[in-house]
Amino acid sequence: MNFEACFRLLAERLRNEVIVTSAGNCSELWWEITGETERVFYLEASMSLASLLAAGIALGAPARTVVAFSGDGAFCMNPGMLLVERQLALPNLKHFMVSNRVYGSTNDLPHPFGELVDYAAIAQASGIERVYRFATLEGLSQGLDDMIAVPGHAFAVLEVEPLGRHLPSPPLDGPEVKFRFGRYLERTGGRPVFDAPVPR
Amino acid sequence: MSAGGADKAGRVAQRIADVAADCGISLVASLPDGWITDVIAQFAADGRFRHVAVNREESAIGLCSGAFFSGIGAFALMGASGFLTCIYAITKINYTYQIPLLIGITLRGRPGDRAKFHQSNGLYLEPVIQAIDLPFVPIERADDIARIATAYRHSRVMSRPVLVGFTREVLRGEA
Repeated sequence: MNFEACFRLLAERLRNEVIVTSAGNCSELWWEITGETERVFYLEASMSLASLLAAGIALGAPARTVVAFSGDGAFCMNPGMLLVERQLALPNLKHFMVSNRVYGSTNDLPHPFGELVDYAAIAQASGIERVYRFATLEGLSQGLDDMIAVPGHAFAVLEVEPLGRHLPSPPLDGPEVKFRFGRYLERTGGRPVFDAPVPR
Repeated sequence: MSAGGADKAGRVAQRIADVAADCGISLVASLPDGWITDVIAQFAADGRFRHVAVNREESAIGLCSGAFFSGIGAFALMGASGFLTCIYAITKINYTYQIPLLIGITLRGRPGDRAKFHQSNGLYLEPVIQAIDLPFVPIERADDIARIATAYRHSRVMSRPVLVGFTREVLRGEA
């Protein structure tokens, strides 16, 4: 599936969710397509922690659906993330793992593991009940509502082609991302983040 | 450890949990170190907390950092060695985005720690903490346990992580 077309479809359909993007192509492409600065946390360079940061958000905000994007490079660094996700079993956490089989943020250097392992099978063997594998736009379009709208933790592998071009990072400093995102959560019904009283 | 020793360690664990609850912490993510098993067991059994056993220490950093955005007070608890694997996560997530976080560690490798494989922590743990300018609150006596709340507040005020470090003597109720 074409990476950009895949993300354009997701951006068009995921209108109300809170989004956490991982480093490299996921953040860069989401930014290029949407330019969003409020409901998206561009977690650049966390080396595998995007879905767990998303889980922390989802844990305290059960009324929100929180969508995390990881790359296959990040996933291979820390596949144990799935064990924590399974333990938490958060019904409002949806995790997409983008398998493009290259390190997209470092000039598409080949990533060898995608040819060797079945990521969806790893998720299933980790005890995750709702595992999806989308290799075509048609399949993604048909299965997306089931994954997102039906309550229950879900993990999906997005089989995409390498992007094949370099994109700039979102032009946002860390504190700006924090405040825009946190204020969005506060403004849309979340608990106080910055305005929470500091305990005495 | 004797029955009396276990009682003392249990009371310390209870005290740590009480201070954590009183200052607004309700999520604890941990990976064990032999010195903090009583503390972890206390958090896991205590209904005031959601305890999450993570697969690696960096996952605790990610999870607790996310929890900040949903207004949950969080505590990442781990051993010294595990903390040293978190330098990247702390500096890339919490420093870059200025996300507060309370981290608790064991002060392994100090004189009195008989584990040879922890002596590297005695040499490098505190210099690494200083090298990344991470505010550090040692918990060396029972009266220091209340400083966990101070450290938590300080983290929120300065929008950065703050570290509390427990000595073996405190955790065993001997100091």
